[in-house]
Amino acid sequence: MKAMAKLSEGILDKFSMDFLRNQVLKNAYGNDDTVIAGLDPRVLLAWYLFFGLVPWFVNDLPFLLGCFLLVSVTTVMARIAGLVLFLFFLGVFSQTGYLLIVTLIFGGDVSAVGPLLVLTLKVATVSLASITVFSGLDPDRLSNGLMWYGCPEKLSFSISYAYRVLPMLMEEFQNVLLSYRLRGNPPAHDHFRGKVRYLIYQVKIVIQAFYPLMLNTAKRSRTTVEALEIKGYRYAAVSKEVRKMKLASLRVTYDDFIFLALSFLWVAVTILVSNII
Amino acid sequence: MSLIEIRDLKFTYPGAEKPVLDGVHIEIEKGDFLAVVGNNGCGKSTLCKVLNGLIPHFITGEFSGTVLVDGVSTLEQDVGVLAKKVGYVYQDFENQIVRPTVLDDASYGCLNYGMTDYKERGLRALDRCGLTGKELDYIWQLSGGQTHLLALAGAVALGPEVLILDEPIAQLDPGHADRIYEVLKSLNEQYGKTIIVIEHHTEYIADYCKNVLLMRDGKAAWKLPAPEALSRVEELQNSNIFPPQVTIAAHHLCKKGVLPQVEQLPTTVEQGKQYFHELSFREQPILRKEEKKTGEEVASFEKVSLSYRSVKGDPHTVFQGLDLRLRRGEKIALIGSNGAGKSTLMKLMIGLLKPSGGEIKLNGKVLKDVKPEELSSMISLVYQNSEEMFIKDSIRGDIAYAMRVRGVRNWQEKTEALLTRFRLTELAGRDGRLLSGGQMRRASLAIGIALNPGILLLDEPTANLDIATRKEIMRTLNDMKEITETVMIATHDMQLVCEWAERIIVLCQGSVAADGTRDEIFGNRILSQRVGIRPPEIFAMGQALEPCALCYTVDEFLKSFQEGVHV
Repeated sequence: MKAMAKLSEGILDKFSMDFLRNQVLKNAYGNDDTVIAGLDPRVLLAWYLFFGLVPWFVNDLPFLLGCFLLVSVTTVMARIAGLVLFLFFLGVFSQTGYLLIVTLIFGGDVSAVGPLLVLTLKVATVSLASITVFSGLDPDRLSNGLMWYGCPEKLSFSISYAYRVLPMLMEEFQNVLLSYRLRGNPPAHDHFRGKVRYLIYQVKIVIQAFYPLMLNTAKRSRTTVEALEIKGYRYAAVSKEVRKMKLASLRVTYDDFIFLALSFLWVAVTILVSNII
Repeated sequence: MSLIEIRDLKFTYPGAEKPVLDGVHIEIEKGDFLAVVGNNGCGKSTLCKVLNGLIPHFITGEFSGTVLVDGVSTLEQDVGVLAKKVGYVYQDFENQIVRPTVLDDASYGCLNYGMTDYKERGLRALDRCGLTGKELDYIWQLSGGQTHLLALAGAVALGPEVLILDEPIAQLDPGHADRIYEVLKSLNEQYGKTIIVIEHHTEYIADYCKNVLLMRDGKAAWKLPAPEALSRVEELQNSNIFPPQVTIAAHHLCKKGVLPQVEQLPTTVEQGKQYFHELSFREQPILRKEEKKTGEEVASFEKVSLSYRSVKGDPHTVFQGLDLRLRRGEKIALIGSNGAGKSTLMKLMIGLLKPSGGEIKLNGKVLKDVKPEELSSMISLVYQNSEEMFIKDSIRGDIAYAMRVRGVRNWQEKTEALLTRFRLTELAGRDGRLLSGGQMRRASLAIGIALNPGILLLDEPTANLDIATRKEIMRTLNDMKEITETVMIATHDMQLVCEWAERIIVLCQGSVAADGTRDEIFGNRILSQRVGIRPPEIFAMGQALEPCALCYTVDEFLKSFQEGVHV
């Protein structure tokens, strides 16, 4: 019941939009001086192809453990924002982690824990690899990398534009929510039933706040659409030259080779270890 | 040959009954610095969008007539070709910026048009717009003024002959506004660009522009050299444009025969010194008693500090040990340059931001212990951006919302009364977002005072309004003096400050730099210079003639000076 009370107080108060906005920005641009961010996006995407796919098909525990350690290291190197890591832990836990703990508490033996551990490791490895690549790189480098692999220009523009407007949207959403909070009249929440009602009320407000947000955004985007037209966005989308110019900034360096070599070496070692065992 | 030639231009927006542009004839020479003035809705923005081809290529409607840019009709060139000839900076310029970093955004247009030297072009444009050193910054690190310069740089990078700016300084403090105009001046003089601005601030027109174009009812009424144009005081006032205060004062004195008829009235303080030099100052009895309120404290800040989390590195400190007390019944103006912390201070008072140290009290109660819902009967904030106040689909619904959900007795009648008071009855069923700037502002004020809050906070209530609408809001504010107790306005509008406020608080770099009556604030030259505030022009004029003169309005100026001609 206490947790419930906390939750109902919390949604609007503690989990502030300001905090969210900061985390989104931090995640996108706050770590552009890390080793990971300096790598060539194409190399990193190729690297991701391995660590995002292979773990699904392998059930060998030492190998998975090795991969997990490696991606943990890269995640640390990419200096991922706290919120993303929190979501990661929450995600893994809600997928399989809780089963693992429940099994242990209720006297499950190693035979039951084994397969669960394997599954948890798989999910965790793949997630961490994704986090490393998709939030370790800044959106522009990521979208350039995707474009090199043949993704349409529209997709890559959307990625970087989304990061550009997200903070603005969140600020606006925060202000709309504030209008509701200051002018609304939520149910009293001193006792348990009131708290449940208060929680429902808050969720309802968050949903209602989307309506003004959408209309305001529509109004803003009129200028953006015209500006994009003036800035030649439509020309660029069909021009091969421009595409080439955009990709010209991508360059594979020694760091990329070292990164790939180290990853390869590490994977080789884990395979070796698992064969010896 | 003129750079731009418009002949018999007519344009009607789809679904509109009347044409916005109804037979426009103008020619604009190369190298001009032209100000376009006119009522809200007289077709200024539409005219500018015709020049860069958005009309009729992108925005469709009934179009007829000829528009020649550089000798070629806009109908024969597409938007891309025209973008390299005519650059455009929107009034809501922040929506014009589409890339996350400064250099990236400045060179984005050039990249899209496949110019191989796009980086250099971007860098050059940033240099011309005074943004050197900011190339790698992220756009949210920029101040409002810098963001505007970036939008300008994005247009300049494409190397256009003509630059059009829609109300470039509407949201800026005088320091930033000067910077924008200095940049425009150098683009005009050093690089030979033709500059067209839509501008309400006639003091800036007097200082910077070469010619003025008056738009009236979808037609170009006239185009004249700036000094001559600004001397047509009555004609301008009929179109809701207010000439510089110096010119208005000169016009009055001239009409009364106190000063001789001249061909051109003075438009700047410098010219005013010449024209008014015969006048002598006569001390006026103090018309307005300026006594300090000693009522009870309604809000107080005690050693409040606040810092923002920043994306990278150390948190950014906004306030450090801020102390401030507000008393019941005060009419306070909160001033200071962009980024001095005005909006932040207001957000602290309504509990949107929590101080990292110190205490804020409302009516003697610590803000932390006040439930957010209780707050609304104590304090209310009217945002700078009115759109964010509209949470229902009609203004009636918006005004009623707070009273309805609280079950205030007679809320229907009270809503109707508010609608009448703010002259919104006829618009009551419309969505707030679709109203004009002035109507939107009135609606947001009505929403703000619906619950009769003890303290009313207004963030820039007169920004982005033309002079007529601004006057209307000023009248509304004066009307409201009786029904609201304590009011605090954050603003750059010094005329508003001088005509309305009883107490002025100056914020500078996160602390209170000065706090007092208008005489104490504006009379102190050293202070004004230090914190970057600028009194209204007429005040500066008075001071230039007589250092101890303190006249804040044209009327006060006339009273103090007019009878004292040397015989």
